[in-house]
Amino acid sequence: MRIVRLIALFFAPAAFAVHAATLPELFTERLKSVVAVEFFVQAEIERQPVTVMGTVVDAQGTIILPPAAIMPGIPPAQLKDFKVYRPGSIESTNAEYLGQDAFTGWHFLRVEEKLRASLVPITAYTAIAGDLLLSDELWGIGLRNRDEDFMPYFLSARVATVMKLPQKTAILGSDVASPGLPVFTAAGHFAGLAQSSFGQNFLLFSRNQHATPILLINVEESSVVLLADEVLPNLGRVPQSVTGRPIAWFGAYGLQPMDPEVAKLLKLENQSGVVLSDIMEGSPAAAAGLRERDIVLAVEGQPLPRLKPDRVIVGYFGQQILKHRPGEPLALTILRGTERQEISVLLGDEPKLAREADRAYLERLGLTVREFLYNDGIMQRAKPTEQIGVMVQFVKPGSPVATAGLRTDDWVREIDGEEIKTYGQALAKLRAIEADEKRPEFVLLVSRAGETAVLRIKLI
Amino acid sequence: MLAGLLLPLSAGAAMSRGFNRLLEAVVRIDVREIEFQNGAKRFTGGIGSGVIISADGLVLTNAHVVSPQAVEISVTLANLERVGASLVGWDHWTDLALLRLDTAALKARGLGFSAASFGDSSELFAGQTVYAVGTPHGLTRTVTRGIISNHNRYFEDSGGVNGHETGSFNTWLQTDAAINPGNSGGPLVTEEGKVIGINSRAYIGAENLGFAIPADVARRVAAALVKDGAITRSYVGIVPGVLQDLERFYALASNTGMLINRVDPGSPAAKAGLRAGDVLLTIDGRKVDGRFPEQLPAIQQTIASLPVGAKVALEVKRGTQTIAFTVQTEKLESRVGEEWAFEKWGLSVREVTRAYARENQLVDESGLIVLGAQPGYPAAEAGLARGDIITKVGSEPITELARLKKVYEAYEAKPEPQLVEAQRNRRISLYVIKP
Repeated sequence: MRIVRLIALFFAPAAFAVHAATLPELFTERLKSVVAVEFFVQAEIERQPVTVMGTVVDAQGTIILPPAAIMPGIPPAQLKDFKVYRPGSIESTNAEYLGQDAFTGWHFLRVEEKLRASLVPITAYTAIAGDLLLSDELWGIGLRNRDEDFMPYFLSARVATVMKLPQKTAILGSDVASPGLPVFTAAGHFAGLAQSSFGQNFLLFSRNQHATPILLINVEESSVVLLADEVLPNLGRVPQSVTGRPIAWFGAYGLQPMDPEVAKLLKLENQSGVVLSDIMEGSPAAAAGLRERDIVLAVEGQPLPRLKPDRVIVGYFGQQILKHRPGEPLALTILRGTERQEISVLLGDEPKLAREADRAYLERLGLTVREFLYNDGIMQRAKPTEQIGVMVQFVKPGSPVATAGLRTDDWVREIDGEEIKTYGQALAKLRAIEADEKRPEFVLLVSRAGETAVLRIKLI
Repeated sequence: MLAGLLLPLSAGAAMSRGFNRLLEAVVRIDVREIEFQNGAKRFTGGIGSGVIISADGLVLTNAHVVSPQAVEISVTLANLERVGASLVGWDHWTDLALLRLDTAALKARGLGFSAASFGDSSELFAGQTVYAVGTPHGLTRTVTRGIISNHNRYFEDSGGVNGHETGSFNTWLQTDAAINPGNSGGPLVTEEGKVIGINSRAYIGAENLGFAIPADVARRVAAALVKDGAITRSYVGIVPGVLQDLERFYALASNTGMLINRVDPGSPAAKAGLRAGDVLLTIDGRKVDGRFPEQLPAIQQTIASLPVGAKVALEVKRGTQTIAFTVQTEKLESRVGEEWAFEKWGLSVREVTRAYARENQLVDESGLIVLGAQPGYPAAEAGLARGDIITKVGSEPITELARLKKVYEAYEAKPEPQLVEAQRNRRISLYVIKP
């Protein structure tokens, strides 16, 4: 004990020297870890430019973007021209999109060599030790928009509360950084990463009306911070492929939290649970013998914790699955009726996602068709293991199919009276129709929310 | 010349007698009915019109004026005297309801009335002068004049009569005689005072686009309601589409066949193997022609008028093949089931019907749909909300309304926490209703 104290005393002056850096100095130094990222989403007939903020995580020029940076379902092939800007700079450097990590939701980028030397990863700074405390003061970086050259500015706020959502997350009294950018203590220690901000309730008064409740979300700044020890262990989760695979698959649908009152009635006090509404056909959960209405009480022998709000437990359970890799077992304790059971689920590989699906845009007809996926089968309440028809991914306004009444998310079952079994068959038929310039019309049988209709599409 | 001079004279003469007699037969109807919205049992009121069609006091009106949820029906006669009435029966598919005046009370008070007579709605022509009589916005005995704008209008509405389906089995008369809220249930008449339609609806925000149920339909429905109190129809589960312009694609002679746009999952037609995209050629050997929308109600009516449980032969064209199917009809049901309120829970519900289950792709027809949960009451506090489907309470599966009524009775006698299982979009949640 005496020795430890002695060492602490001995090193104190040195530590003091580091702490002595002023906030403006620290701010300038930490700017090397943040970037602005521009790219665009190339859809069928339009381009959507996107600007988001990212954080540098290693010396290889890897940058992470928040989950909301890219809408789910957009195929990586539609993401174009990633450009990285340093704060206050108009010089851009190209970057490559590496994919999204299923567990954290982060999108990973790698910037070209030439910029790497001027960047410092957040791992270069000491991280906070232990938990943040109520009233701790944190500061962070905000970046303005492109027309202001991504000019950096200083924000600071105090910790209002720390919650498990299910990851440890600090909520601050006011906005502390742009979403996706790091947050630090006064000593310059890395405290966490600002997340998308939460909505805030306001009342909107107008001259003629009474107050209308509205929800405002600040997209430029956030007061929600994912703590460093939830961030740092996951920085190495750089996707192995642009699709983000491998992704573990469980195969239950409609996971619902168990209400605390229900837990009490079932004599499961201080225990949380997840109700499995539906077990997907042919899934690992089905193979393990799970049934609809089973309530998951524990994972790997650990009872599900009580988290607030109740919904958070569903996210927690999802993360327990995604922590694993396909082919690994997941041990569950479930409640079926009044009986507890132990069930081991051998996790599978997530069925093909919308962003990975084959698709093709037929410009003259005016639609994009996409192959029918397992998840489409679930949504359409069809047999998900069977391939029938194709999905309409996009309808061009004013095009022949739009005029005939076709809509996005329609399910095409027949083309010209021929039942569609595969995507290839559908595409061949549509391409032939499109190529035939003398053809006056064609006919689709489509399904929409369980209703079917025959659509006649006039071409000339 | 002479005829031209005589005709208006004779019409005018007829109007003075027949038309005045008709005016004596038109009534105002004030209704108080139960509503089960928002988790409570509430009373609402409404005003409509009606026409007396028989000497024994039968009054024809709209189903959306008087429904089985009516608890108090008060009729104001042409002489401004008020008298009670009771519901004989209703039929939302044609938007018609039949009432019977309290004739004992009439007799005791020495009150009389006259009855209107029907005209032939099949002989109407576009441009013919007609009059609408009724109580628009509570203005008793209002007469408006117009013409028949179209005598064969297709106008189907899946939720037109207080959420109930309407218009699948008949076409409508369209008129430009002003029809406003409150005109509902009043007669559309000729210059001679013959009832040729029952005014029912109008386009809101449009000018003079009113619709009436043709007298020929009204007459038939009224007769059936007097006899049985309800109309029983058959159902096979095919939803028709218009074949217009698709004949060439289906390689059909023109004026042949009806397109099947949808086959209700689990319906008799689906079980027999019919599919969307099939073209129906014959029903029990009789040729079908569904080229235009106006022709669809008659085809639907052909199927509806078959006896329930009858086997019907349907011949269908699929691709190049012609296939014969035999389908056993079942009883046609509304998607709107019986409603009820459990007031101590602040919960109002509606039974899931077979039609609702099919429409919403539910596994079966068991369960109760939550219509509303009153804030602050146990059901809302537990987390139940409009649109949830209650499937189980405690260990009791709630297949029908009677089951939950039983559970509720036990709860009233001895209030204890109830574990409720409910679904929403196939997500199952558990709730606790606490006293």
